[in-house]
Amino acid sequence: MAQLTRDRWTGRVPFIFAAIGSAIGLGNVWRFPYLTYEYGGGAFLIPWIIGLIILGIPWMMMEFGMGRFFQRSAPGVFEGIGKKWEWLGWWPVFVAFLIVTYYTVVIAWALHYVVSSFSVAWGIGEAGAKGAAPFFFEKVLNLSSGPEVLGGLQWPLVAGLAFAWIVLFFIMFRGARAIGRVSIWLVCIPWLLLIILLIRGLTLPGAIDGLNYYLTPDLNALRNIDVWFGAFSQIAFTLSLGMAGMFAYGSFVAKKADVTNNALITSFSNCATSFFAGFAVFSTVGFIMQALNIPVGEVSVASVGLAFVSYPVAISMMPGANAVVGVIFFLCLFLLGTTSAYFLAYGGVISPIMDKFGLSRVKATSIVCVIAFLIGLIFTTRGGLYWGPDILDRAVSFYGLLITGALSCIVVGWVFGAKKVREHLNETSDIKIGAWWDWMIKIVVPAGLLFVVIYGGFMKDIAEPYGGYPLWAASMIWVILVVTLILSFVLQAVKTRTPQGGE
Amino acid sequence: MTTGAIIATVIMWAIFIGGLSFCLSRLGRGGEWKE
Repeated sequence: MAQLTRDRWTGRVPFIFAAIGSAIGLGNVWRFPYLTYEYGGGAFLIPWIIGLIILGIPWMMMEFGMGRFFQRSAPGVFEGIGKKWEWLGWWPVFVAFLIVTYYTVVIAWALHYVVSSFSVAWGIGEAGAKGAAPFFFEKVLNLSSGPEVLGGLQWPLVAGLAFAWIVLFFIMFRGARAIGRVSIWLVCIPWLLLIILLIRGLTLPGAIDGLNYYLTPDLNALRNIDVWFGAFSQIAFTLSLGMAGMFAYGSFVAKKADVTNNALITSFSNCATSFFAGFAVFSTVGFIMQALNIPVGEVSVASVGLAFVSYPVAISMMPGANAVVGVIFFLCLFLLGTTSAYFLAYGGVISPIMDKFGLSRVKATSIVCVIAFLIGLIFTTRGGLYWGPDILDRAVSFYGLLITGALSCIVVGWVFGAKKVREHLNETSDIKIGAWWDWMIKIVVPAGLLFVVIYGGFMKDIAEPYGGYPLWAASMIWVILVVTLILSFVLQAVKTRTPQGGE
Repeated sequence: MTTGAIIATVIMWAIFIGGLSFCLSRLGRGGEWKE
């Protein structure tokens, strides 16, 4: 059945909040603060802001703008440029799909901890501080010895995963109208929770020491190319670009509505949230250092280690309200993850499927939720941590995202014409952009993304297997990339069943 | 906090608040949201 009317946001505010919700995610809390501390403190903010201006904002304007121009999701956009480019719209769809399969498992971990926090199940006081890591790795994950041992399903995580997908289904099956309304709440509540966590963090002893580690600038760090790599990679990952979803979110915008100002508001709001979250995180890190009398180097300040080991340690050592802080922190992670998950699933996967095959929204949403849940079960096994949030993450969230992002900008800039996009954006947007933008899309953004993928990816992973994994396991990164690329060409060969809605 | 950390904090919030204020001041100058 052909799609007669395009999914639409109910207004500007729901669209902006949905876009902010998609951009704000777990990385704002567990990646940005760590990178800032690791790469020169306040000095890191200089390349980060430069990356935002020359990479992130032009790229977001392009994805929003192309989606609005063609009124289609990513595959439809590239099909509109030329049938032979449609695969370039499907590749990021696979990226989004695979990311959401393990991203929802991390949400399930957060749910597990929301429940566990009521009784502070890993313990209170020094016993809890010692018990936090074993609780996560041995009890929650029951982690196996390596990726070759998958082991059995961890049923509490399966239940959490099922719950996450049920929640996502009920948010997504009514389309952009419901997503926009829900996003206003699901963005504002985590902001409120972060404020509470910051206040709690700042009132703990040692908080200021932590903030000094977070922000004291080391300007010499700017001479280190790793710092620029870290800043550009963070900008590439934090705005949820290169995952197909922003094309779809742009396509839900009315043809006469603004795009450029919304892209700026989304980008600034996302980065301000990252910066703010850093205060909540590092005030707590400072407290851990003082409470356990250990240097900052002995505290896990990034990724899974920060959220599921260090923060529980801090919760155990707090002088009061341990359970309340635990529930607030993990509920915040759950909500931050949820807004990104439905962006990936709906904008990244469901909307392209509806456009291509003319499926109803309920049918497409049901199919995607069930298949993604079934694949996600792999990551609830004892070896799931190795495969989902690590090896698969490297394949799709690093290589897939960056390569498809760079290629998208090159095709839009050189084949479709950056000037044409800019003129389309300027027709109706609040803020007019100049010819500089054309060169950003044609050269600077692709070059920046390729720098990240070559310097931080190929040069390291070819020299030695990624993450110290056995070669066969690390090689799965390349297998996943090649298989998804082939499947993208297969889908290109399938006839599109809905009429092209472009101008 | 160290002087450098305070300066970094002030500059960053100036950028974010200034940038968002500019964007919000331009709202409604271009597009229409009702079709």
